[in-house]
Amino acid sequence: MLIYILKRFLIALPLILVISLVAFLFINLTPGNFFNQMRLNPQISEETIEKYIELYQLDKPVLMQYFAWLKRIIHLDFGYSFAYNIPVAKVLGTRVLNTLLLTLSSLFFTWLVALPLGIVAAVKVDRAWDRLISFLSYVLLSIPTFFMAFLLLYFAYLAGILPLGGMVSANFTELSLFFKILDLFKHLIIPTLVISLGAIASLVRIMRGNLLEVLRSNYILALRARGISEKRVTYVHALRSAINPLITIFGYQISGLLSGAALTEIICNWPGLGSLMLSAVRSQDIYLVMGSMLVSSVMLIGGNLIADILLGFADPRIRVK
Amino acid sequence: MKELFRHRRGLIAVIILFFLYLGAIFAGFISPYHYRSEKRILSYAPPSKINFFDSKGDFHFRPFIYKYKMSLDQNRRRVYEEDKSRAYPIELFIRGDNYKLLGLFPADIHLFGVAAEAKLYLFGADSRGRDLLSRIIYGGRVSLSIGLIAVVITFFIGLIVGGTAGYFGGKIDNILMRLCEMVMLVPGFYLLLALRSSFPPEIGTVKIYFLIITILSFIGWASLARVIRGIVLGLREKEYILAARSVGLSSFKIITKHILPNTSSYTIIALTLSIPSYILGESALSLLGLGIQDPVPSWGNLLKDAMAIVQIKLHPWILIPGLFIFLAVVAFNMLGDALRDIYDPKRKII
Amino acid sequence: MKFLVLLLILFTSCANGEKSLEVERGNTRYGGYLAFASVSDPKSFNPVLAKETSTTSITGLIFEGLTRVNVYTKEAEPNLAKSWQIKRGGKEWVFYLREDVKWNDGVPFSADDVVFTFNSLIYNSKIPSSASDVLKVDGEPFKVEKIDDYSVRFTLSSNYAPFLMAMGTDILPKHILADVVKADKFNSFWTLDSTPSGIVGTGPFKLSRYIPGQLVELVRNEHYWKKDKDGNSLPYLKGVRFLVVPNSDTALLKFLDSEIDYYSLRGEDYAILKPEEKSKGFKIYEVGPAFGSSFITFNQNNSINPKTQETYIDKRKLEWFRDRRFREAVSYALDRSSIIDIVLNGFGYPQSGPLSPSSGYFYNSNIEEHGYDLDRAKELLSDIGFSDIDSDGILEDKSGEDVSFNLFTNAENNVRVKIAELIKEDLINVGIKVNFLPLEFNNLVTKLSSSYDWEAIILGFTGGIEPHFSSNIWLSSGHLHIWYPKQERPATSWEAEIDKLFKDGVQALGRKKRKSIYDSWQEIASRELPLIYTAIPESIFAVRDKFGNLDPNPYGGVFHNIEEIYIINKEE
Repeated sequence: MLIYILKRFLIALPLILVISLVAFLFINLTPGNFFNQMRLNPQISEETIEKYIELYQLDKPVLMQYFAWLKRIIHLDFGYSFAYNIPVAKVLGTRVLNTLLLTLSSLFFTWLVALPLGIVAAVKVDRAWDRLISFLSYVLLSIPTFFMAFLLLYFAYLAGILPLGGMVSANFTELSLFFKILDLFKHLIIPTLVISLGAIASLVRIMRGNLLEVLRSNYILALRARGISEKRVTYVHALRSAINPLITIFGYQISGLLSGAALTEIICNWPGLGSLMLSAVRSQDIYLVMGSMLVSSVMLIGGNLIADILLGFADPRIRVK
Repeated sequence: MKELFRHRRGLIAVIILFFLYLGAIFAGFISPYHYRSEKRILSYAPPSKINFFDSKGDFHFRPFIYKYKMSLDQNRRRVYEEDKSRAYPIELFIRGDNYKLLGLFPADIHLFGVAAEAKLYLFGADSRGRDLLSRIIYGGRVSLSIGLIAVVITFFIGLIVGGTAGYFGGKIDNILMRLCEMVMLVPGFYLLLALRSSFPPEIGTVKIYFLIITILSFIGWASLARVIRGIVLGLREKEYILAARSVGLSSFKIITKHILPNTSSYTIIALTLSIPSYILGESALSLLGLGIQDPVPSWGNLLKDAMAIVQIKLHPWILIPGLFIFLAVVAFNMLGDALRDIYDPKRKII
Repeated sequence: MKFLVLLLILFTSCANGEKSLEVERGNTRYGGYLAFASVSDPKSFNPVLAKETSTTSITGLIFEGLTRVNVYTKEAEPNLAKSWQIKRGGKEWVFYLREDVKWNDGVPFSADDVVFTFNSLIYNSKIPSSASDVLKVDGEPFKVEKIDDYSVRFTLSSNYAPFLMAMGTDILPKHILADVVKADKFNSFWTLDSTPSGIVGTGPFKLSRYIPGQLVELVRNEHYWKKDKDGNSLPYLKGVRFLVVPNSDTALLKFLDSEIDYYSLRGEDYAILKPEEKSKGFKIYEVGPAFGSSFITFNQNNSINPKTQETYIDKRKLEWFRDRRFREAVSYALDRSSIIDIVLNGFGYPQSGPLSPSSGYFYNSNIEEHGYDLDRAKELLSDIGFSDIDSDGILEDKSGEDVSFNLFTNAENNVRVKIAELIKEDLINVGIKVNFLPLEFNNLVTKLSSSYDWEAIILGFTGGIEPHFSSNIWLSSGHLHIWYPKQERPATSWEAEIDKLFKDGVQALGRKKRKSIYDSWQEIASRELPLIYTAIPESIFAVRDKFGNLDPNPYGGVFHNIEEIYIINKEE
């Protein structure tokens, strides 16, 4: 097992390298650089702007810039963000944590709700519960996430109990620790709901589908024939087989959540990695983009790795030869 | 096919999709107006009231509408009143805006409409007084086709790569999966931003857009491939596969005849879940201003205009394109489920 | 009898009004927070390096300059400098500084700080300062010398009319920054991760807390020098908060919800907010046309690209764009009232010249205006030689090619995108085909400032009251002269004329003389149309009812006198 993990890491490294090169090239595909924005300010002269470009070596050829960046990364120096004028690592730090918080709470909520619902739907197939759950899944799957975020915010406004986006309230600094945590939690609710609802919908359907298939398979039939109670058959044996494919999905969800969360973060004003990357790309804040891309790549590969390991544990036949 | 029609949900899905695609194909004929036809003074006019009884209380068999009169109230809010001086009956096969039937034949006959002086707004008007219903029908052309094209590409590539990787395992699996990861890691969204900026603007936006969708689907196949690979890995060790191998069937035959068909249910779910995601993806892009540009409508960019509190409160009909997105997505999902039910031999057919 | 006495006491106390109430309750004006929404995080806390509004709206409360602009007269008035003398016809200025000013860490302010700010920061070639360009005449920095602890002498190489205005630039503390500058670390100083108490200024507020992506909190500076008319120290407010809310609709909701106290309205928000004024306890102020400009411009750059030995864009199109009749035709073909009705929801004014009517003194109302006149537009176009040869609804030029061009603007600016869509439709009516594509802002700027491969662009500039501060746009050598930047010699006679006007205008010291100079400039601009102006929005603000001393002003906005603002009937 350990060797497997190690091997994966070793393979991952050149992978990340290639990705970083590709990403770097693409960012530079768009003509211009970050400091161009300043050219439209009537009070900033050419020389001032040229000074900045020189300072950050943006006039050198692209490949040279890439290797310079690579050299720094090896020393764990993520470089400087032009827009924020502080080291990229500092900008990333809080944002990554925020996104992780959102991702984890969404994952937790999704699985907490989706699994039982999927099981119920499969067990009570074609009856009232199943129909209701399937119907709701259809509905939730079909609404664009950003639209859902928007609607939820609107309803939150009408209801007046939940905060309207952001991560903290205006009077956060005055609150005691307990209330600070409560405030954070309140702000987490809407973005989590937005992300989770869609994920729940698809997971429920998959769970239901899997469980249904397993319940109809031959070996379950055999178990029933052996006289094992329906409850045991369903909840112990069938469930175990049904969950298998889901484990792969779990891993991908971690990585998927990171990129898919961008729009939600933007609309709910959650200060995470997604919204940061978008604005960084738009303003060509190169090192910030590279840094956040690196972090999300690591998270993606990590997620895939976890998924594969879990799959290996769950189904011994699949262990790599 | 027959079974599809017998399956209730499948039938509903097929009917919905049939009408949606019919509307898209015959957009020019079915919509009362061309999507560019404006009337700026009637900005955000509400849906026309279809009347059967006139001001004298007489019943008319053919429904009719009145012209709108616009005025501003003290909060600078537009107020529309019916001008009851003249009634405009709704007529069938009426002459109206020019369009090209099926993109080829110039025509100007519309399924229904009113005389040119009045405007029939069944779903209300947008900010420039354009008929929302017409724009939604035309919008279907873009939104509905995107899913189909992208999914076809994704399907083929993902199936081949995933199937091969899962079946052969070992080195091939490793290489292919690393390839997949690499492709998945490419931040598609940002790729899009970059590519978008480097295209010369003379290409019509529609062409740019299909180009972009193609690129996105070339990235999208990777996740499908991964899922299939996982399933195939599981299937590979099943007894009947081992049996087939021991009998000496070639790998190719095994993959195509035994493994792939058994991945079909998962594939179908995945596919039907991805068509909608391309439709939804288009709306996300339009939200950022990177999708199809005005005046060409797509459901995404129509929805984008509705994404403001002000609009919902004052002109709620602007949200109707969302309903169409929703319908299309739901229909595809139902279709996928129905197909899966049919292919799964152990499943009872309703 | 007793009753009458009671009545008398009651009457006298009421007659004395708020003051006596204050004395009794112990100065109830103090306290409370004012909350704003900001579209993005600040990018820095360093006012010298600061570039955009999200940063300057914060540093503007922490730092101050020798002068400040009086929002009524729109002229410079004393601030950190209590008075000044003009000598040698404007080439020498002596400023007498206030002696009661302290930095927010308690250290006294003196002439050393002024000299330091100019000589070691603004004029320091190693520091990319945006202020330095405005603080030079003919490219020459001012000579800044200390006379004594509270007086400073500025020596200029020639008259500089906007000098007093330019003296509003922030003064920074020597005792904090001197060593930093010596160690060459200024460019990374006072960045977002700095300790709040280290950001030292003389302004009414100081930084107290920054939560990235969420909140910037400022608290009152106890050492602030300004006092109210009764000698109480200002500001009254306990603090100011900036909540980061990138989305306007969310900001609107937060305003209605009382989470923020101020909201700047877009035209379409009026119909939503106005009906709720009474019930939600706020008031809407319409203060007149906004500052700045909004326009469509055509590329007139016919210089040769050294790499390709050709012009940057198609020569044929250049010929159209350089023909004044073409630009005039476009101006006549624009339905500005539609733009105002549809994009600004009726809250706007058609614009024909570079200055907004709100600019005050320098605004020239006698400029050429082009109403919506399709016939006139078509006439002009056929004068140029365009006609619809193949009757496809699109005009062709003399060589038989369709009259069509690319139009860009920045995708994030919804208003500009909507205007572009309307213009596209408008121009079809006169037979011109427009290919519109929104671009990322950076991409747009690159085209404008280095690659020059654009044909038409919709853009806007922020504006103020001092015409000279837009010289980078109007001088033919300016790099913001976007239709043909950085010319070596003026390409046309009218551009040469404007060059002369600006050179004269910056040195002329008499107000009337300057006005006639800049009046001529506006006339030329509206006639030659290098920038075809569209419409200016109305400035509309909504403010919670809970503030006293509110004085909404077209130039200053609602909180120009923030140090005098207080909260009425606070909780507690």
